[in-house]
Amino acid sequence: MEAIWIYQFRLIVIGDSTVGKSCLLRRFTEGKFTDVSDPTVGVDFFARLVEIEPGKRIKLQLWDTAGQERFRSITRSYYRNSVGGLLVFDLTNRRSFEHVKDWLDEAKMHVQPFKIVFLLVGHKCDLPSQRQVTREEAEKLALACGMKYIETSAKEATNVEESFTVLTRDIYERVKKGEINIEEDWEGVKSGFIPNVVHSSEEAVKPGKRCFC
Amino acid sequence: MSDTENQRDFLETDDDFKESPFTDTVSDAREEFKCDASDKGETTSLTMTRKRPESKSSTESEESSQGKDKDTDAGQKDRPSENYQGGWGYWGNWGKSLITSATATVATVGQGISHVIEKAESSLGIPSPTDMSGELKKEETVDVLSTAGDAANDKSSSNTSHIGGAIGMFSSLTNVVQSTGKTVLSGGLDALEFIGKKTMDVIAEGDPGFKKTKGLMLRTSTLSEVLREAKEREEQQTSHLVDTDTTRKAHYGMLFDELQGLSHLEALEILSSESAAKVKSVFTTLSGDELAKLKEELELVKKSFSLIEFDEEEEECIDDDGEEFVKEVTAAMAEMKIMVTADKLVQARKRVEDWMSDINTQREEEEKARCITEEIHASAIRSLAELTARAIEQFHKIAELVLHSQEEKDTVLQQAKILSQMTIILCKEVSVLSKKFTSSLTVVGTHEKGDVLNPLITGIFLEASNSASYIQDAFQLLLPVLEISYIQSYMRTA
Repeated sequence: MEAIWIYQFRLIVIGDSTVGKSCLLRRFTEGKFTDVSDPTVGVDFFARLVEIEPGKRIKLQLWDTAGQERFRSITRSYYRNSVGGLLVFDLTNRRSFEHVKDWLDEAKMHVQPFKIVFLLVGHKCDLPSQRQVTREEAEKLALACGMKYIETSAKEATNVEESFTVLTRDIYERVKKGEINIEEDWEGVKSGFIPNVVHSSEEAVKPGKRCFC
Repeated sequence: MSDTENQRDFLETDDDFKESPFTDTVSDAREEFKCDASDKGETTSLTMTRKRPESKSSTESEESSQGKDKDTDAGQKDRPSENYQGGWGYWGNWGKSLITSATATVATVGQGISHVIEKAESSLGIPSPTDMSGELKKEETVDVLSTAGDAANDKSSSNTSHIGGAIGMFSSLTNVVQSTGKTVLSGGLDALEFIGKKTMDVIAEGDPGFKKTKGLMLRTSTLSEVLREAKEREEQQTSHLVDTDTTRKAHYGMLFDELQGLSHLEALEILSSESAAKVKSVFTTLSGDELAKLKEELELVKKSFSLIEFDEEEEECIDDDGEEFVKEVTAAMAEMKIMVTADKLVQARKRVEDWMSDINTQREEEEKARCITEEIHASAIRSLAELTARAIEQFHKIAELVLHSQEEKDTVLQQAKILSQMTIILCKEVSVLSKKFTSSLTVVGTHEKGDVLNPLITGIFLEASNSASYIQDAFQLLLPVLEISYIQSYMRTA
């Protein structure tokens, strides 16, 4: 992993148990897919750099939460320091889709006073025959909640990269516009180190809090 | 002083080194270790004094001891050797443990320690040993027994606690580092921590940049912030280097972050502070009597968090291949009564063992040996970072599982004890690993110049000391978690 990035975004991945959150993350960060995996305990961590513009990289720190209800009280503690996240449901599991609204409400409640940007992810699109949620209704829900929607498959590596880049770009735009700010005591967005080559760009000057001494 | 200089030169030049009379002294020393290692008296003291010339102290007492060491000039003019008895005791232990495992390396390891000192002194730009000893005096509360000037002659200091004794015995900063190095080798974990803290002070003196980091440590409230700052500094520094791949291999902070150590630590901090807040709010709901009763019971939980003691004796089995560690952590986790395994720790430890056997294979081939010092160093740093990251992860997972389980009060107390034991096991392993890697390094690096080898060795000891501190701090973060777990059980039964 390269050490140079202009921002670090902390993203949280939430959604019902067994919708494939960890698989999605493993595909994104390690390029691997495993059919069986142990349920996540509490939270696990992944990290990857994403290049949003040539020479501009953003480090994504990914918090993979347990979907199981029994860990809910613990995973709630982790929401606060995230700037955004993937809200994942299983296209072949209607109930996981029905819980989307609950997940969103809970997340919004726990990130107060900060805002959180979510992307709705319909996962396991490699199983069309078992599909229980149509693209239309998912899109409708996403729109109603102010989210973008994307359908992915970790198994076939469909839209995995895209889902993370879409979300990252979305957050990046908001940071640029000043809708999201770097704050003390908040880990959601952090400014990183700027390689000498981009010193001309606005980002190089922006994070005034960093001092190179 | 010029005398000292000469000796140093003579020891540092590696061509000289090979043919010099010192090689003879080295084998003498080894002989003595073999025969009389258990004798903490004169024999070991002789062994010790043979190493002294390598340190570059310029204080009066030093010079006199060096004169003695060399057996060529001044001779044994000033001090009876029993002055050093307390200190020798440690050397004796150290010698013993090494003899059981690696007799052949004894002399070179000794050399390594002195190199550490040399590095600490020369490359960190320490102002002057006497100035520094003044500084240290102020800070070192343990050291109550002797003063800088006549420390070496103070007999009583040698009988006190080893850290105090060690410091009391020597009069310059160099010697603080030296004695710390010594205690590290004799197996003291407290010493590991001590060398870390001391070296921070030392480094800060010579490096304004580092001073900032140190100041930051005092200012910031959480461990993960401190670590993050350190890592960011490393990132910043390395981002200027072209050859990022090789240099980054040995950056502890960045590796620790890459291995998600920082994230686990931060998550653990979140859980810890939330638990602490919950404990507080419970306290506010209780009446005076109830509160007193609960607090009294909570003392039982706290006890396990305050009575950490490292038994130095046990550390003599330096030559194990980690099997003992694997057994111990696996057993400890099984006793936790929560769904937690030590699998990741075990895997990490096994990887370390693989690296070590790689190194040993390469070491046997003379040709290769010369080029693998950097490699050993990188493996050492990576091993420490990985083991520490997994240790923090283990504690984080434990916190999560403890919080969502509903255990009886007795179980919580039991868990506290296991965790304190676990902390000891982990810190010991860190110490053992650092010793193994540094002795590999000194064996392999006999042909290297001091200024190549010394920073590597110091680096390993420093990161080992840091690792031990992180593990212990992470352990402390578990206290509020266990407290709230205990309180919940208390409330259920009340």
